[in-house]
Amino acid sequence: MGKKKYDYKPVPFRGSGFQFKNNYWISPVVFIIFLILWHVGTTIGFISNLVLPKPAEVLIAFHDLYVTGDLYLHVGASLKRLILGWTLGTFFGIILGFSIGLFSLVRAGLAPIVAAIFPVPKIALLPLFIIWFGIGELSKVNIILFGTLFPTIIAVYGAIDNVDRSLIRMGQSFNLSWFSITRKIVFPASLPAILSNFRITAAIAIILIVAAELIAAEKGIGAYVQMAGSLFAIDRLLAGIIILSCLGLIANWLIGFAEKKLLKWRNL
Amino acid sequence: MELVLKKVSKTYGDLLVLNEINLNINEGQIVCIVGPSGCGKSTLLRLIGGLESPDTGSIEARGTPPPGCLNPLTYIFQDFSLLPWRTVEENISLVLEDHSLSAINRNEIIESVLQRTKLTEFSDRWPRELSGGMKQRVGIARALAVNPSVLLMDEPLSALDSQTSEILLNDLIELWKKQNFTSVYITHNLSEAIRIGHKVVVMSRRPGEIREIVNIDTDIADRKIRNIELEEHLWNLLKDEAIAAERELENG
Ligand SMILES: Nc1ncnc2c1ncn2[C@@H]1O[C@H](COP(=O)(O)OP(=O)(O)OP(=O)(O)O)[C@@H](O)[C@H]1O
Ligand SMILES: [Mg+2]
Repeated sequence: MGKKKYDYKPVPFRGSGFQFKNNYWISPVVFIIFLILWHVGTTIGFISNLVLPKPAEVLIAFHDLYVTGDLYLHVGASLKRLILGWTLGTFFGIILGFSIGLFSLVRAGLAPIVAAIFPVPKIALLPLFIIWFGIGELSKVNIILFGTLFPTIIAVYGAIDNVDRSLIRMGQSFNLSWFSITRKIVFPASLPAILSNFRITAAIAIILIVAAELIAAEKGIGAYVQMAGSLFAIDRLLAGIIILSCLGLIANWLIGFAEKKLLKWRNL
Repeated sequence: MELVLKKVSKTYGDLLVLNEINLNINEGQIVCIVGPSGCGKSTLLRLIGGLESPDTGSIEARGTPPPGCLNPLTYIFQDFSLLPWRTVEENISLVLEDHSLSAINRNEIIESVLQRTKLTEFSDRWPRELSGGMKQRVGIARALAVNPSVLLMDEPLSALDSQTSEILLNDLIELWKKQNFTSVYITHNLSEAIRIGHKVVVMSRRPGEIREIVNIDTDIADRKIRNIELEEHLWNLLKDEAIAAERELENG
């Protein structure tokens, strides 16, 4: 009787991929390669100077902005409108969202109106706001207020609708007061959705402020970009766009920071 | 405290869920309720605790709650119902914060219930860091913190693996020996019911009615791990109902 022959092979590993590792060094390297390509491309003339200036020229535009004090002027003006409009819109949005989420009478009255106004692109309201509030600060702050208000209302009451009913039942079964249940159960349960909505409203606010400043403003990043565009000063145009990108990144970082602090119970 | 249910009925829409339930829950007794799925056990418990009201019939609480009782009818939930944004300690604190207790007094209560449920070392953990058994211990600790006169438990151990639920069942038995609490205990597990119940109430399938009440006289402390005879008796009562209930679900 001949022995059976067995073929020994290790089981191949198939579980790799579809998993993100933290490669912190990749993005700076990609960024530097991008800068080098940009520099080389514009220097050898592969990229026309009418399309893109050299990176160094953009840097000089930044430098000019800084030494003339225009950086402070424009960014300051935009930031003031952004912060004021966003804060007010978010504040009223949270209050109205909670009222709609908690009181059926308010919901019956306001939810249809909110649903009707929500889908209107707020940029379309800009001419109307300029007629109503003038071309000064008021129309700009109000357009941001309006633009952040409605998404916030909808996000907040959606979040409240999604609060785990069994937790509310639990609170009731221990005789917690209505106010305690709202403050200690409903509010923390809806906080993650509210915070992630901040990212969306921050982006909306930046879009709206630029749109408003493009149309009518002397100060502000939008106005700066508008002026640069009409002068074909692509270097300054790019500087403005980079400032906007930085604003968005900073807003995102602040919200991420708030999430980490306020939602530390979610993950490590 | 003693609870008396008289002709309690409940309908949802036109679905009769509970039909004329009469039941006494005596002071210091654990009443177990078993019955096929969907027969209205959870509904009955919600009625008993006042989270819903019966359509007809009455539910009365007789006698005064013990001194220091903050919430006479207190639930322990199948899904634990812990707040994920509060640590173990804070979850227990939640049910004390609405009462006018001094901070010292409150901390004493929390410390004492954590000790009784063997959770002292875990007081500052988040719920997500705990195993199922630990979570239910927190649920039990939270219930004990309000010094209830009746504990209402809806399948408190059924989300746990069998070893953990055995350990927790023993802990509940130990606790009962010390405190003689009154309780309504819903379970699917017949041997669990036989271990911890003074009375086992067998319900019929929907519309839920009481089919039989089995009294168990043996002292809870002296019971064996299993009582096959009694288990078989209960199973025979339940078997046809369970099969019929199962069919109903299958056919929609
Ligand atoms: N809020 C409600 N609205 C409408 N129907 C309900 C509601 N709650 C329960 N029911 C119905 O009432 C019946 C009894 O439900 P209940 O949860 O009390 O059963 P149960 O005995 O606890 O079942 P299980 O053993 O599966 O936990 C079920 O048919 C269920 O669909
Ligand atoms: Mg149930």
